[in-house]
Amino acid sequence: MVTHEEILKIARLAKLSVAPEELDSLTKDMNSIIEFADAVNSVAAEDSDFDNSNSLSNVFREDKVVPSYDREEILKNAPNQEDGYFLVRRRM
Amino acid sequence: MNYELICGLETHVELSTKTKIFCSCSTEFGGEPNTHCCPICIGLPGTLPKLNKAVVEYAVMAGLATNCEISPVSKMDRKNYVYPDLPKAYQISQYDMPLCKSGWVGLSNGRRIRLNRIHIEEDAGKLVHDRGNTFVDYNRGGVPLIEIVTEPDLRSIEEVQEYVEKLQMILRYIGVSDCKMQEGSLRCDVNVSVRPVGQEEFGTRAEIKNMNSLAYMAKAIAYEFDRQVDLIQSGEEVVQETRRFDEGSGCTEGMRGKEDADDYRYFREPDLVAILVSDEMRKSIQKQMPEDPQKRLTRFVSDFDLPEADARLLIEHRRIADYFETAAKGAKNPRAVANCILGQMFARLGTEAEKEQFEVAVTPEQLHELILLLDSGKIRMNLVKSTLEKMLDTGKPAKEFLSEQDLAGMSADDLKAVCEKAVAENEAAAADYLAGKEKALKAILGSVMKATRGRANPQEAEKLLADIIRR
Repeated sequence: MVTHEEILKIARLAKLSVAPEELDSLTKDMNSIIEFADAVNSVAAEDSDFDNSNSLSNVFREDKVVPSYDREEILKNAPNQEDGYFLVRRRM
Repeated sequence: MNYELICGLETHVELSTKTKIFCSCSTEFGGEPNTHCCPICIGLPGTLPKLNKAVVEYAVMAGLATNCEISPVSKMDRKNYVYPDLPKAYQISQYDMPLCKSGWVGLSNGRRIRLNRIHIEEDAGKLVHDRGNTFVDYNRGGVPLIEIVTEPDLRSIEEVQEYVEKLQMILRYIGVSDCKMQEGSLRCDVNVSVRPVGQEEFGTRAEIKNMNSLAYMAKAIAYEFDRQVDLIQSGEEVVQETRRFDEGSGCTEGMRGKEDADDYRYFREPDLVAILVSDEMRKSIQKQMPEDPQKRLTRFVSDFDLPEADARLLIEHRRIADYFETAAKGAKNPRAVANCILGQMFARLGTEAEKEQFEVAVTPEQLHELILLLDSGKIRMNLVKSTLEKMLDTGKPAKEFLSEQDLAGMSADDLKAVCEKAVAENEAAAADYLAGKEKALKAILGSVMKATRGRANPQEAEKLLADIIRR
């Protein structure tokens, strides 16, 4: 069972803030996700099945340059930008 | 009590592929910020990574060149952390199934530094901190890296430096990276711990992040060694932590507290399929690789009779080694070829970058022809040198600068005549020599060399002069 402390730890690692009133419902949701994963794990494949688990391997791309996007396009959705850079508030 | 230094290195090396690891943007260094970007490498939702084949090939080459086992099956994993240099909030790396395992790099003292693994991953973007803001450039984001992880086998600062230099030489040689520390294409995290001499068990280690100069690395390790020994001797404990080296003060300082210890929650990257390296694929990659530089060094010493120090200088850059080999093949004086390269040619190449490029006006075939003239005794080394100087200035072959007289050599009679004349013209010096002044002979020899424009054999001429004077 996932605990409140674990939810708070995961939130901290993801730099999310969790309000005290959200804690119960988030913990419940997380537990049902873990239960689902456990159900999948109960029919888990052998390690040796790994390389053909989806019968695909070595999907490669050739090392050929394709022109990049215009910088304007790249920065279009940035909340803040300056001099061609993404701009974020300094942290740590 | 005496303490022993224990170091392990994690070295990040940018591969010199044309494109990034998961998209087709250019990896070129130094473009305007955010001009080598696309929705994949800025981590927009809904995009999918596509693995660059050359990244796998280059990493396998690096593994083969460092005696690694190549994993027949490997996969990519997600390493989760939130920081602005990583737009997806995870880095695609390899966790428990790296591409290469269990290699080693040999040092000159005979020790083998064991490699735990080499894995492939994507580089992060570049952050510029200024006035409370962080400016983010994702041109470097997604550039392919290999991370080469040693066992804690390094025992001195000198070993650490030699190991890094060796790694640079090997990787440049096989052409998978330019390994430029100053441009950040080779960076090291250094794990440092100490233990009393004779103790089996390792001490607690501290990791110094992101060193991009060998000189700073040496300083940081020396500082960290003293710091840890001081802690232990004053009865305190070394804390396992990540530290940063401050170039200004020459000290290392803790980067974050224990409560924020790394927790990357690795899991298999669901957007990428397994990487299988068959025997066939491994062999075909091996075929594309040039001769191992260490073997070539040994061969240069034995086949070309070179001093090891000279061979080492020639080997360091592949172009120079190839150039030497072409020019020296079949020559009786391979040492003279090496001297031409290491002396006159190196004198014209100031920086390591220029040596790496090795753009000289003389082709190896032209140098070979010049050396053949030396081999056949037609010209002497001083004439080789002055002719080579003119060839380097103009790019023209040796023939352009050597007269028929130069190439005719000197008969014994001719030499004798010149010597007789020189003694007659330098009576005073000849008298001094007879009176016991050995040096006086050199003055007469000088005029012989001048008169013959350097074609005379100085040893023969000297002997002849002494005979003439004593007669």
